[in-house]
Amino acid sequence: MSSSSFLLTAFIIYNIAFLGFVISVAGRKFAVDDPAAYSRRWGNISLGLTVAGFLAHVVFFFTRWAEAGHIPTSNMYEFMTFLGMMTTLAFIVLYLIYRAAVLGIFALPISVIIIAYASVFPREVQPLIPALQSYWLKIHVTTAALGEAFFAVGFAAGILYLLQAVDFSAKDKASRREQRGVEFTLFTLLTVISFVVAVFGFNAAGYHASFSNEVTYVDSNKVEQTVTQTVEYVLPPIFKPHEGQLIEMKPFFGMTDAPFEAPSWMEGSNAGRKLNTVVWSLLLGTLLYALLRLVLRKSLGAALQPLTKGMDNEDVDEIGYRSIAIGYPIFTLGALIFAMIWAHEAWGRFWGWDPKEVWALIVWLFYAAYLHLRLSRGWQGKKSAWLSVIGFLIVMFTLIGVNLIIAGLHSYAGV
Amino acid sequence: MGNNRKWVQIAIFAIIVAVGALTIASNLFANNEKPSVGGKAPHFTLKGMDGATYELSDLKGKAVVVNFWGTFCEPCRYEMPAIQRQFDKWDKNKVAFLGVNLGESKVTVANFIEQYKVSFPILLDDNEEIRKRYGVTQYPTTFFIGPDGIISDIHKGVMDDAIIEQRLAAITQ
Amino acid sequence: MIHNTKCECGHQNHTGTILCESCGKPLADDSGTAPLEMRYDGVARRSQKENPGWLDRIWNFFSSVRNAIYMIVITLIASALGTIYPQENTFLNIDPSVYYKETYGILGHIYYLLGLSHTFESWWFITLLFMIGTSLVICSLDRVLPLYRALSKQQIRKHFHFILRQKVSFQEALPAGKAGAPAPSEEAWIEQAAAALKARRYRVHREGTALLAEKHRFSRWGPYVNHIGLIIFLAAVLMRNIPGWHMDQHLAFPEGQPVKIPETNYYLKNEKFTIEFYEESEMSEEFRDRGQQVPKRFETKAVLYRCTADCDDPGKPPVLEEVHRDDIIVNEPMEYNGLLAYQFDFEQNPMLLSVKPSLKDKRTGEVYGSFELSMSRPAESYKVGDYTLQLKAYFPEFGLDASGTPITLSNQPKAPAFVFSITGPGLDPTGEPYIYFPRQIDKQTFRQDTLNGALAEKLELSVGSMDDVGISEFVSYLNIRVDRALPYIWVGSAIFMIGVIMGFYWHHRRIWLRIDDGVLSLGAHTNKNWFGLRKEVAEVLNKTGYSIEPKQLDREGVRK
Repeated sequence: MSSSSFLLTAFIIYNIAFLGFVISVAGRKFAVDDPAAYSRRWGNISLGLTVAGFLAHVVFFFTRWAEAGHIPTSNMYEFMTFLGMMTTLAFIVLYLIYRAAVLGIFALPISVIIIAYASVFPREVQPLIPALQSYWLKIHVTTAALGEAFFAVGFAAGILYLLQAVDFSAKDKASRREQRGVEFTLFTLLTVISFVVAVFGFNAAGYHASFSNEVTYVDSNKVEQTVTQTVEYVLPPIFKPHEGQLIEMKPFFGMTDAPFEAPSWMEGSNAGRKLNTVVWSLLLGTLLYALLRLVLRKSLGAALQPLTKGMDNEDVDEIGYRSIAIGYPIFTLGALIFAMIWAHEAWGRFWGWDPKEVWALIVWLFYAAYLHLRLSRGWQGKKSAWLSVIGFLIVMFTLIGVNLIIAGLHSYAGV
Repeated sequence: MGNNRKWVQIAIFAIIVAVGALTIASNLFANNEKPSVGGKAPHFTLKGMDGATYELSDLKGKAVVVNFWGTFCEPCRYEMPAIQRQFDKWDKNKVAFLGVNLGESKVTVANFIEQYKVSFPILLDDNEEIRKRYGVTQYPTTFFIGPDGIISDIHKGVMDDAIIEQRLAAITQ
Repeated sequence: MIHNTKCECGHQNHTGTILCESCGKPLADDSGTAPLEMRYDGVARRSQKENPGWLDRIWNFFSSVRNAIYMIVITLIASALGTIYPQENTFLNIDPSVYYKETYGILGHIYYLLGLSHTFESWWFITLLFMIGTSLVICSLDRVLPLYRALSKQQIRKHFHFILRQKVSFQEALPAGKAGAPAPSEEAWIEQAAAALKARRYRVHREGTALLAEKHRFSRWGPYVNHIGLIIFLAAVLMRNIPGWHMDQHLAFPEGQPVKIPETNYYLKNEKFTIEFYEESEMSEEFRDRGQQVPKRFETKAVLYRCTADCDDPGKPPVLEEVHRDDIIVNEPMEYNGLLAYQFDFEQNPMLLSVKPSLKDKRTGEVYGSFELSMSRPAESYKVGDYTLQLKAYFPEFGLDASGTPITLSNQPKAPAFVFSITGPGLDPTGEPYIYFPRQIDKQTFRQDTLNGALAEKLELSVGSMDDVGISEFVSYLNIRVDRALPYIWVGSAIFMIGVIMGFYWHHRRIWLRIDDGVLSLGAHTNKNWFGLRKEVAEVLNKTGYSIEPKQLDREGVRK
């Protein structure tokens, strides 16, 4: 069996485990006899499923290692699937401490979404360039991912807390702001899901379009060169590359050419495609959100609120804090200290203010602020939950945004 | 505890202020690896074509024109006669002219000097160490240094008589 | 105004004390029922003065956690701004005052004007870091001493209000005996409780019917240890400004000749540069399609020399002594005496280094001799057999200017030309000119034989075989560094990790209990992880005859 089938197995099992946790919480009202025992039993079943999925995921990891000849954490696909695996692990740890089935309803989907997102990226095994050939690759990337995984569980706990605590029926200004904030966070998640579904969907339907455009750059002899590059689109082009020429395009809803063009200030030949992807994700995310609102006939937050029963608000707050408290030392060690050691060996300076390094520092500073703010009573509870949500969004930007938008020594995304 | 405490506080602050001053000072001054206008001209010691050793510190009190050039650089060749004229014109007790050649072989420089009739000192920056120290990235680049050792102007590109005169006028008041 | 801070238990507290240092009774808010503020055990954190002097004001500024958080957040935002456009230090050779305007337009120019193009080296960013360092020192000092005092002398028998207003508290009559057995005496119960607590690794102190159980106090020092680590780290970063402690240069090393490392007495020679590319079979299909060569491994065989004489003399070559040699590959630098050389980049740039031509009689083919002719440092004259070749002119890249005069187009030996004046048997005693192009293609392009006229029929200067030609195939780019502050960076980081592990992975727990007239009063406190504390207290209580759920112990949650 090839490695990817193990990943698919893990993915499916995670989804089933998620359902198990939902049953454990939502089904309580049907268990007349002993709701506590019912929850416990279903919680244990779901935990068992989660662990099984995790084991399948681990098998995927080692099988791919064998296939690739190097530890599978060297490009976006490999790293993101690894992050998904670590997120599950972090959840298992937190579950064993707190036995909160309701956490599973929110933490497992994060893991699932991360894996789905990862699958969009090129999966091929790529040979390692000399800069990546070091045992530090194993240590730095894996530790950093584990730290970030705990932040992910903190994020899930934060969303859970907010869904519990925000009053979706109140109409005053402060409550409205909170409700909008929750809706926006859920909308962001929907956008990511839409992105994944769109890419897979169009790919499966065989959709394809390509453009060519000219890229001017200065080569090593300080001579200006102009090269023609082809840009492949998987999603129907709404925005074509700046000054791009159409090569071929499958018609979409009668469109045979891209109606818009990426603005010239967007750098890089792939800017058009990336803009197109972002626009598609936002459009579909909005569509999905609107659909859900229509079907549910209330805000998403209000719809999810019944699922958040089963654990005391204060304990959820503590779970969020604890996740971040556990993850912070690991993150510091992996993303900063090991990174500094490796940078020193590979590039001769332990810190160079490279965008990726700076954003890792920003994440570190943010959670440092979070931990210090928690010393003050006023910042526990809702404010703390918001911070853990924002913090994880910053983590995601560091992992995805920096790699894809800001270039630097660090862009090994392979995309 | 009261009085003791106050002295401890003062001591700690004193250390912090000292460290802080050091940090800011070294950041503002030493960190400017590339010399700029208003900054101190980096010191150098170079051997001239005439065999003598030239140190920038020896010229303190005089305005100094330091011209970085090479025989392969067309604008450098073009401006050489203008620099030579200016060298002849100004009082040698007040203004010094130095040409710093960028790592070419002696024979090449010698031929050039003879051909263009250059009489002001030409120094050989063999390893291009001084070029790097002065942050010179394009040729020609000319530094106008005041009698106090502070860089008054950095001119990148070709010069003519008027440009040299104007800048020298500014530092020979 | 005299503030009465004497507690009813008789202990005299400092001004500003919240909970009596001895019995824990709240001094101010005694009638309330809210859980007590247990920070620093309610000890006065600093002597509150009516009129803080300027020294106190500065001290209080840096001691405030709120201000520290502001500093952290400002640093965070500043750092984010510093990533919008590439920083100045990522380029080796640009002029920032025009680059940002040209590449990014007006926004880029504003970026440059605000100083954001060198955010991390700017004086205000460094000041921010420095202020954070100061805050670390003062915040920690201000808190660690009172905390140490408070924790090292703890009273065992605490006031009722102290115990029952803890976040975890419990009050109930002692449990009845099991199934008919007589109820345990107060003494017996406490023994049981003490044993159960000791089994959970608590340190138990008893005073009659009062008990204090404490564990993992060391975790409270975690934050202070990690702050010390950060202070050392920041201090090490500052130390790099000490002259001689830091150097960072990127230099090019063509194969085969020693290159001086500026600002040092060292020369480094790239003896040989080798590169391996991934085979077609080792690469993925996508890479193969791109037709790109992916480097698998590249290495510089480097030799380090120190100059021992004639170091500054442009006329004479420096005398070099080999001090070290090593193979440098990415991730494995060469190290010697604090000097580090890292493999940074390379370029395939074939360059002529030297030739060894022979002087021959054109007609008879007799070889008079040969000599080593360097492209970078040709000598002033060469003796070959009975002939002397005096170097009159050298053009590394021969060309003609607008008026037809020979000039050199660059300083790189891309088309070298040597003009000799040859003296010797059968030649004009004043010397006859001979122009020599080592490269065959230049010889033809510039018609060497035509230029040399009659002399070209008598003498020939040429290279015998490729063995007599020294070529550099690759230029290896190495990053030369010195960083003496580095060990302290690692020490600071390690101490930080220890502190943060101490503080987050263990929790300081304390349980106070007292029995009065058969009624047990219990209070417990921890700095984090209340869930676990409640669970543990419930376990201990359940082991000693009670039967309660952890949730019942939560004072705040009791009414939910």
